[in-house]
Amino acid sequence: MKTGVIHHPQNTEEALVLLAQDCEAKPIAGGASLVAMMNAGLVNPSALVSLKAIAEVGFHTRADGTLRVGAMTRHHQSAESEYLTGMRNCLRAAAGSIGNMPVRNMGTIGGSISLSDPGADYPAALVALRAQIELRKVGEIRTVPASEFFIDWYTTAREPDELVTGILLPAAHAGTGLYRKLARVSGDFAIVSIAGCLSEEGAVSVAIGGCGPGPVFSEEVNAILSTDIVSDNSAEQAGQGLAELADPVDDVRATADYRRLVIPRLLVQAMRELRAGRETLQ
Amino acid sequence: MSVTCELTVNDVNHRIAVDFADTVLSVLRERLNLTGAKRGCDQGVCGACTVLVDEKPMRSCLLLAANCAGNAVTTIEGLSEDAIGRALQKSFVEAGAIQCGFCIPGALVSARAVLKRNPGASVDDIRKAMSGNLCRCSGYRKIVEAIAKAGAELAP
Repeated sequence: MKTGVIHHPQNTEEALVLLAQDCEAKPIAGGASLVAMMNAGLVNPSALVSLKAIAEVGFHTRADGTLRVGAMTRHHQSAESEYLTGMRNCLRAAAGSIGNMPVRNMGTIGGSISLSDPGADYPAALVALRAQIELRKVGEIRTVPASEFFIDWYTTAREPDELVTGILLPAAHAGTGLYRKLARVSGDFAIVSIAGCLSEEGAVSVAIGGCGPGPVFSEEVNAILSTDIVSDNSAEQAGQGLAELADPVDDVRATADYRRLVIPRLLVQAMRELRAGRETLQ
Repeated sequence: MSVTCELTVNDVNHRIAVDFADTVLSVLRERLNLTGAKRGCDQGVCGACTVLVDEKPMRSCLLLAANCAGNAVTTIEGLSEDAIGRALQKSFVEAGAIQCGFCIPGALVSARAVLKRNPGASVDDIRKAMSGNLCRCSGYRKIVEAIAKAGAELAP
């Protein structure tokens, strides 16, 4: 017989106190990932802290142009957001490719990234966008670059007494962004996914999902792509670089070798689409 | 340790003692005798347990009963007098859009959500909206046809 408690804090501060008092307590937002893991017996929390009443929802542009996305923003809200334009479109597209409508109605961006399934859609998009993850605990707030947040399989930089409260996207976002996912069927986790953005000035940033414990990202590869955004050859070569950095596994969806083979091909396609998107803007 | 959950299902308020980890699906089926929503995968993948929460389709297997106070849950049973629900029931029968039937309650709830949003939904819109409802008899074609037909009757 399972036993445990569920707490219903009325605001973020109350939730943080509850998490500080019980290091076994797990925060629950939309439940789309956590309850699935509980049903499968992968996690058996003794206490849950419901984040239902916490008002970290929606999009807010700060005075410096940074866009803050509240951690409780549902996937369907991100998928339809008017704030996610230009390079930020890669986050919007990632949100729209999560699961299916009922799951997008339930799941939140903070919950999804906190559980950090390596086949999930947000991590690559947030890394490509150079997002910062805002983490709070009692009396402390810090931000961690997305590239340092996704540490290992299902493991993030979040401490048990911390909550992801928001995602910060850089002010500069003029340009184009995309997210493409190779999956067995619509709504499945990625075999390989790619998030890419191309700024107005021609700077490229890409990240690969589904190919290891966290997104594959390399400033050197971005530099190669940014120097020559035109040729398929340079994209192919950059893709080989990313494939070498990737640490994929064999699983039910595909073999590691197949994933490595696909990375350069997806990158060539993504660069073509980014270039086309940029031409449309100019 | 049990907790008291307040759950509104098909416009009826319930106060029930549940385990903190009990899902809405298990409460519907095992406590309220509402067995329309089906337990398929228990992972939010198959769609057989789909219900409406505040008019939005969600997975009852991924909702904790103790976390649904203040929300209105509508199950397939609650759509029996609903105009869109009735139109769908009729068109599913006429199109023969049912084989074993296990997925159909969840499929009807998803179908009701898409037609409520837009009775004139295109076949493409319908297919996207239904992409989270698996039918292992693979009777998708008739399901999509039946939804389009119900939509056409609701918004000629």
